[in-house]
Amino acid sequence: MTTMQNMLKNPDANLVLALADDLLMLGHVQGDWTGLGPILEEDIASSSMAQDDLSHALVLYEHLGAHFGIDADVIAYERDIADYRCCDLVTLPDEFDWAVAFVRRWVISHWAAPVLDRLTKSDDQDLAERCLRLRAEQSLHLTYLDDWMHRLGSGPDEGRTRIQTALDTIAEHAGMVMEVPDRDLADIEAFCCGREELFNEWTTAMNVVLEHAGFTMTFPLPALDAFGGRRGTHAPHFHEQHAEMTEVRCADPGATW
Amino acid sequence: MSGAANPVMTIDPSEEDQDKLAEFESRIADGVLIEPGDWMPQAYRMGMLRMAEHHANSEIVGALPEGEWITRAPSLRRKLALTAKVQDEVGHGQMLYRVSQDLGKSREDMLRDLCTGKTKYHNCFNYPAPSWADIAMVQWLIDGAAIMNQKTLADGAYGPYVRTMHRINMEEAFHFKSGEDMVLTLMSGTKKQKAMTQEAFDRWWGPSVMFFGPHDKPNCENLPPMKWRMKTESNDSLRQRFVNRFAPAALDLGLVIHVCQKDEHGMVTSKTVDEQCRLDETTGNWGVTDPDWDEFFRVIRGNGPCNAHRVALRRFSYEQGAWVRRAIAGGATTLPPAA
Ligand SMILES: [Fe+2]
Ligand SMILES: [Fe+2]
Repeated sequence: MTTMQNMLKNPDANLVLALADDLLMLGHVQGDWTGLGPILEEDIASSSMAQDDLSHALVLYEHLGAHFGIDADVIAYERDIADYRCCDLVTLPDEFDWAVAFVRRWVISHWAAPVLDRLTKSDDQDLAERCLRLRAEQSLHLTYLDDWMHRLGSGPDEGRTRIQTALDTIAEHAGMVMEVPDRDLADIEAFCCGREELFNEWTTAMNVVLEHAGFTMTFPLPALDAFGGRRGTHAPHFHEQHAEMTEVRCADPGATW
Repeated sequence: MSGAANPVMTIDPSEEDQDKLAEFESRIADGVLIEPGDWMPQAYRMGMLRMAEHHANSEIVGALPEGEWITRAPSLRRKLALTAKVQDEVGHGQMLYRVSQDLGKSREDMLRDLCTGKTKYHNCFNYPAPSWADIAMVQWLIDGAAIMNQKTLADGAYGPYVRTMHRINMEEAFHFKSGEDMVLTLMSGTKKQKAMTQEAFDRWWGPSVMFFGPHDKPNCENLPPMKWRMKTESNDSLRQRFVNRFAPAALDLGLVIHVCQKDEHGMVTSKTVDEQCRLDETTGNWGVTDPDWDEFFRVIRGNGPCNAHRVALRRFSYEQGAWVRRAIAGGATTLPPAA
């Protein structure tokens, strides 16, 4: 087996990869907005969060890379499409609708927080320490994004309608954040300590904010055997995003950039 | 990137209160910084506004060509650095719009004028960046040129603009370093990378030499823009400094300096080695073939390879974001119909 296959067959590594790939692709798709945000100050904050997400992905890839002997960029850029563990929500195209992009990021940030909390309790000391740092930075995103949700909620109907519409769109895909990234993991009741508990913690935290802002979003926990992006069955748009992401790097394989 | 503010300025101070004008000019001669609440000639206020607004526009339009490459950056570190770099440029725009606002024009008006084509931005952003190596060239040559220009602008007389230049220049230095590192990496790389870098250099060398604007008017030191220290160095002298710094650096990297013919898309159709580009031992200056100034003015008037695309993208962003501004600030205006 290659080092890459070793990593991909490892249940713990798959959990880390799921989060890392979500953050990588979230940072990647948000990259479209840098320089084009609706308000200069928001644009700047959005780019900061994208940098955090990308560097958090890098921190996690470096952890895996050290363990399995693979370069972090090779993990990020050079896997087969089916070996990316990101869920269908992160890569959902926003079609330059800021409401969709905002809600997508808000939902993922709310998901990353409890997952990082669990990883900080990992037996793997290196992973736990890295995740503690990431958790602190993701908390800042949550504060910022929740504040925006409140402001939009107390704003005029036009904005409220757009956000509610985006929440409805996102709700159709949000459950797949809970997709178990590896078939073998399904048996061990993975995602650290109980899938239902994680789902409840995640959705409860979101609902507190939504209720206060006057929005709603409900979706069920998908069945254990539901499969999509995390198990490698990515939507067509992920293939396009991946092609774009790797375009330069793959144009001259082996080159240093 | 970005911004040399080099809008071509004609200023007529003859209609000002001559006593106040004399005091104003003596303060400037004494090196006193002018603050927003101070008396200033109307022509100075208008000139500084035009300059700061043009510079702010350049920052946020300058974010566009590089912004388009964030999603294609070939490593995580480059992706992070490029995101941070483009974010800095947006931040420069934000700071410079604030300087401009204090001179009497609202941000909303400035953004609207930019995306309706009423106001301009730096000419160099009307050229295409079709490869990753172009991003390296923009950060190396254009940010390099911007630093040279902005260092002299930081020596100007208008307090808020001068302080903003000091802050911006620290970040521009990082952009330049990153560009230098990218160019060096590419030129130490594969055959393909070197070829791609030479092609990008061919596209950007001309716009970089033109960066500082056309030849100065005779006696420019005694005309208002320089006399009032809105700018502190002539275009010709800045351009010479740029060529002295970058021509030998390019040759050291193994690049060839060409005189290029380009098509309407800004792509090179033919090129010859620039025979003028060598060190004059007696003056210590590097020569360079004088750029095609007809092209410069053609591009300024809106007929460059990417003018329409850049303005359309700004307009798209402005229109897409209107509801968000209304949602949190209320009452932002909409655009008039597209021209
Ligand atoms: Fe810059
Ligand atoms: Fe800048």
